[in-house]
Amino acid sequence: MITVHTQYQARFREITRIAGESFELAAPLVAELATAIANKYGPQMESLLIDRKTNELNASGTMYLDSKGRRIYMEDTLADGETIAFLVGIAGG
Amino acid sequence: MESRLLRVDLTTGEMRDELLPHALFERWIGGSGVNNWIMWEHFLTHDIDCDPRGPDNIFVFGVGPLAGTGAGSGVKGRITFKSPCYGIFGDSAAGGKFPYMVRFAGYDHIAITGKAPAPVYLYICDGNAVICDARHLWGKNSAETHEMLRHELGDYPSAAHTLTIGLAGENQAGIASVVSDASRIHARGGGGAVLGSKNLKAIAVQGSGGIKIHNPPGLLKWSDGFRQKIDSNEAIYGFKRRGTLGAVEMYQHIGGHFWRNNQGCLFRGEEVRSDNWVKKYHKYSEVCSADCFIACDGRYKIDGTESEKSKKYAGETFRRPEYLTTASAAGALDVRDWSEVAHWGKVTNDYGIDNQDLSCAISFVMELKQKNLISAHDVAELFGKQQRLEWGNMEDIEALLRNVSLRDNLFGQLFHDGPYWGALRYSEMKGQNFMKYAIYGKGGAAFTEEMRPFPTWMNNMAVASRGADHLKGIGLIEKFQRRDLSKRYFNGRTEAADLSIPDLKGASTALLENQVALINSYGVCLFHWMLDPAGFAPEEYYGPAYANITGISRTPQELMQNGERICNLEKAFNSRLGLRREHDTICERWMHEPTTEGMYPGKVAADMFETVLDEYYEWRGWDKTTGLQTQSKLTELGMGDVAEVLAADGALARA
Repeated sequence: MITVHTQYQARFREITRIAGESFELAAPLVAELATAIANKYGPQMESLLIDRKTNELNASGTMYLDSKGRRIYMEDTLADGETIAFLVGIAGG
Repeated sequence: MESRLLRVDLTTGEMRDELLPHALFERWIGGSGVNNWIMWEHFLTHDIDCDPRGPDNIFVFGVGPLAGTGAGSGVKGRITFKSPCYGIFGDSAAGGKFPYMVRFAGYDHIAITGKAPAPVYLYICDGNAVICDARHLWGKNSAETHEMLRHELGDYPSAAHTLTIGLAGENQAGIASVVSDASRIHARGGGGAVLGSKNLKAIAVQGSGGIKIHNPPGLLKWSDGFRQKIDSNEAIYGFKRRGTLGAVEMYQHIGGHFWRNNQGCLFRGEEVRSDNWVKKYHKYSEVCSADCFIACDGRYKIDGTESEKSKKYAGETFRRPEYLTTASAAGALDVRDWSEVAHWGKVTNDYGIDNQDLSCAISFVMELKQKNLISAHDVAELFGKQQRLEWGNMEDIEALLRNVSLRDNLFGQLFHDGPYWGALRYSEMKGQNFMKYAIYGKGGAAFTEEMRPFPTWMNNMAVASRGADHLKGIGLIEKFQRRDLSKRYFNGRTEAADLSIPDLKGASTALLENQVALINSYGVCLFHWMLDPAGFAPEEYYGPAYANITGISRTPQELMQNGERICNLEKAFNSRLGLRREHDTICERWMHEPTTEGMYPGKVAADMFETVLDEYYEWRGWDKTTGLQTQSKLTELGMGDVAEVLAADGALARA
């Protein structure tokens, strides 16, 4: 088991109603984390987080970064204690 | 494709209609592409080295074929001219209702030359145009002018929609903007100064006509699919509430802001870096144009109870500032109270001035003061009195905004063309080199984001046709580290999404510039593509809509070539003005001073800059040594006529 911390912004925070939390994962995979979050918060979160056509993290308007600022993908592994930020992917104006 | 151009010569008062040929759209798509060609042709018979504030400059307004048809969501109008502040190619976009109202009034493009003997406005109503006395409007700000014109023209056959200039435009401040319907701004490049120099205070339109569609059932089907695609995107709901301000928290997380003249990359104010403003100030979301399905726009209202400083603005209501307006105040100038940030957006709009250039000019002198590089005597010399030049002091900042708009003291006279020219003039005047504190790319002010960790963005800043620019290239493959997009466009390669290497960054700039040129020529908002660059790829997704409207069918490859052609014409314009590789550069701070905070500390552009620039020229098919276009590339794009002009001017690469 590993522990992974999450930080939520914008739409992610609106759905979860919290700024962040921790998950205990049996497998150290991003896919495992995404499934855990989607299961916990239901279809709105699942639609925001996972593209069911490709089973990848949904990339339209969203971004997911590890603590070093690298974007994560479903197939990536996670280190124990890692923090993943769930952000909007928008700029400009 | 049926399209009409209205030509106006303000010197003689002569106006005439032209039917634009179908072939023009096959070559240039519409919108910004056609605007560029109209300007290019103008400068084949007029001196391209003319004073941008003189009667020989041209001001072109244009709107693309998709605008106002329900195809795509959100409309963009575009103004194109030789830039008075940068002296090169200039253009700028804005949304709202004015652009499609021009179409309902019978035109897609308006080209204005000459200079009126006294202040006038251009009034267009259902295919008729007249030049009207505007002396009663002169001296009014952009919002007042809009309201007066609306009152004057009445509501028949439609409410009047306007483009206006404020005091900055009247005084020909180089960074003066053109304001659409009092609240949406064509900010970049100094279009307001061009109109001011022509004594043209406003353009007002009223229209009740329609837009001819080649295949209405096909377009309706496409539009329905578009709406469903937008509605099924869960992320959209966040954007309805925050618009581009959703980026504030994200940039605070990664270190993407532009703080105190880019000395840092994080906001300091507790309130402005959080999401709390949404609860306190946001009143409702709204659409900027009738056919937008997102409604990323919104209104704020300041009650005066939100903070001590908010009392001063009690009752003020306006458009919610976009991210970059917020960043120019909360970041560049370190304003920490959100009511003041919002007010900054309103007041720069009222004066009609680009808050990106302006904040970079003000933060430049603030940094000089902060570092004791200028004395109390120097400050008094610049401002005609002592000036605190305190970071975040909105009272002082607003005074400086007025100085630049009115050019009423030495600071305003030196810096009305933005930070680059201001710093250059001030350095020359004082005999001391202050250029390391000016933040710019190709002479254009930075857009107020931290860009040093992002090599594609740094390349964008150097090569963009209108100077440092976030809306020509948009380095989103890299910024959002989209491996999927990198694979899609670069034969399965992922390097374009990797921030740590230079590979495919120049290629990304070229690709994204072509795509943006295409969207700008369709006349739709960039927002959908930025939200979902794979789902709304301009060369694929919008192609059928363009065909349904215009009858011009294009493959994705052909559309990408249209985009490339449009970029090449902008480049050719600048080449005629003498720009070469050495002008495709960025400021010293970006190049050599490392970032000190955020997720990507220690980054400087110099590590990858030249490698990326070389790759950009290679992917463009241009000459790496000079940066000039080649005969072979222009021939490939069907631009032999442009190559001939460049060759005659000595602005074509030698074979």
